[in-house]
Amino acid sequence: MKKQEIGAYIITILLIFLAIIWIYPYIWLFISSFKPAEDIYTTFWPKSLTLDHYKFIFIMANRFERPFVRAFLNSLFISTTVTFSVIITSALVGYAISRIKFKTGQVLFNFTIWQMLFPGFMFMIPLFVLIRNFNWLNTYKALIVPSLTSAWGIFMFAQAFKTIPEDYVDAARMDGANDFWIIFRLMFPLAGSTASIVGLFTFIGIWDNFLWPLMVMKDYNKMPLSVLLASFNHEYASYIGPILAGSVIQTIPMVLIFLLLRKYFLQGISMSLR
Amino acid sequence: MSRMGSGPVNKRSKFGRKERIFGYSVIIPYVAYTAIFWGYPFVWMLILAFTKWNFFSKPRFVWFDNFLKMFTDKVFLQIILNTLNFLAYLIPMILISSLLFALALKKVKFGRTFIMLSFLVANVSSGVAYSLLFSNLFAVNGPVNRVFDALFGVTIPWFSNPQLAIFSICLIITWKFMGYYGLILYAGLQQIPQSLYEAAELDGANKKVLFWKITLPLINPSLVTVTVLAIMLTFGIFTEPYLITGGGPMQRTTTFMIYMYDTAFKRIDPSYATTVAVVTALLSYGLVTLIRKTFEREVSFV
Repeated sequence: MKKQEIGAYIITILLIFLAIIWIYPYIWLFISSFKPAEDIYTTFWPKSLTLDHYKFIFIMANRFERPFVRAFLNSLFISTTVTFSVIITSALVGYAISRIKFKTGQVLFNFTIWQMLFPGFMFMIPLFVLIRNFNWLNTYKALIVPSLTSAWGIFMFAQAFKTIPEDYVDAARMDGANDFWIIFRLMFPLAGSTASIVGLFTFIGIWDNFLWPLMVMKDYNKMPLSVLLASFNHEYASYIGPILAGSVIQTIPMVLIFLLLRKYFLQGISMSLR
Repeated sequence: MSRMGSGPVNKRSKFGRKERIFGYSVIIPYVAYTAIFWGYPFVWMLILAFTKWNFFSKPRFVWFDNFLKMFTDKVFLQIILNTLNFLAYLIPMILISSLLFALALKKVKFGRTFIMLSFLVANVSSGVAYSLLFSNLFAVNGPVNRVFDALFGVTIPWFSNPQLAIFSICLIITWKFMGYYGLILYAGLQQIPQSLYEAAELDGANKKVLFWKITLPLINPSLVTVTVLAIMLTFGIFTEPYLITGGGPMQRTTTFMIYMYDTAFKRIDPSYATTVAVVTALLSYGLVTLIRKTFEREVSFV
């Protein structure tokens, strides 16, 4: 028994050591973005700190036709719009197909499950054709409108709403509540973890999306940060400092929202097993 | 009595009708939206796969030409080999590391939250940001190679040797997903009743037997889930090779997604690009089905 205890402590210390290795790239990225360019590859502990790279990103980069600040705001705008839309539409449609007793709802529920079988990349070129026919290339619409609903989000909300007892809904109806009240005042708070999971994964997915915006957005002023950063790296690969500083800025919102909603992230993982 | 009883019943059916009206008013816009942004591309996908088109002309119907072309398309065949090459590294790496992580996490005495968050924060990293980060960290004269040079006097061409480039990208993907998949396996481990182990220990089973006869068979569903997720992930790799190796060296890290993108927008052949996407999906679906049929077992705790 004693031997096992010691073993457990060794494993713990080993794992903590590994955990530090796992976040080491982040630490290196963060520290390097403050180091003078010539020190980035050579020293770990910075001899001197500088804000040059961030200054470059915020001020100079406009002269290179790479408006980083604007790209950051673009990303924020696109990701939050899509996230809120997905949460609201998923809750509405999820409610309609899980709690209202009519045949169309059941058919639609099966359809959303069927939809999830198809990987997104199958539709990318045809969707590009559609966006092109709409004349939406190089507009925000191309980045926002195709993602406004999510079959997965609807499925998640439908599953969560199914578990809410019918009595609650009946009681609310007796008091004269309408459907919107029932969904957003009664059901939504009870399905709070589902809403957080759907929101978190949607936000991260859109913020990190690269291939789709790369296809439909060539206008530097409307680019999300991911594509702008990649295109900057493509043309000015020797500007390592600004590239790393841009990577820090690209990473921060994702890490923040993850740390904020970490509890639900863990719940989401155990849910994916069911 | 009858009046008392009929009230709620009537009300209920009135609710039912109102509910259905509400249901339709939600569903009809959703169906219309889905028809445009999912149905229309779906139909176009089928049209493109059987036609020849260059974005401007009228699509010309060519039957199965796009599919037949693949059998003689050297690049496409190379990409199938590349993908198998990726799978050969990634699946063992990711399964073994995340299983070890899950097993170790069960034994952890303190700092569990710190450990979980450290491994998970890699999973929420941005593909573009970490690709740029790792291409600098592992650059020929980058920090990692400087450490190797100081310790062993060698530098490693992480991204310029074909096999090493594939291995390095798999290493990055393992870095990203080990924590996530490890926690899926950990959730599976938590479901195994402790009494099973105690009973087996009473019968004199040793650690090795416990692992191979109880742990491994009972987390079969989560192991299969992780394998399936990793396979689907491999068929969709784009950002890492696109930004780090550009598909090279010698096209060995070119993936289906890179080929789809290049075919559509550099060679202006959207019909063939769509066919590539369809076949990629079919291949990954086929492999997933094969894995499920071969390895998936019903598990129940009685």
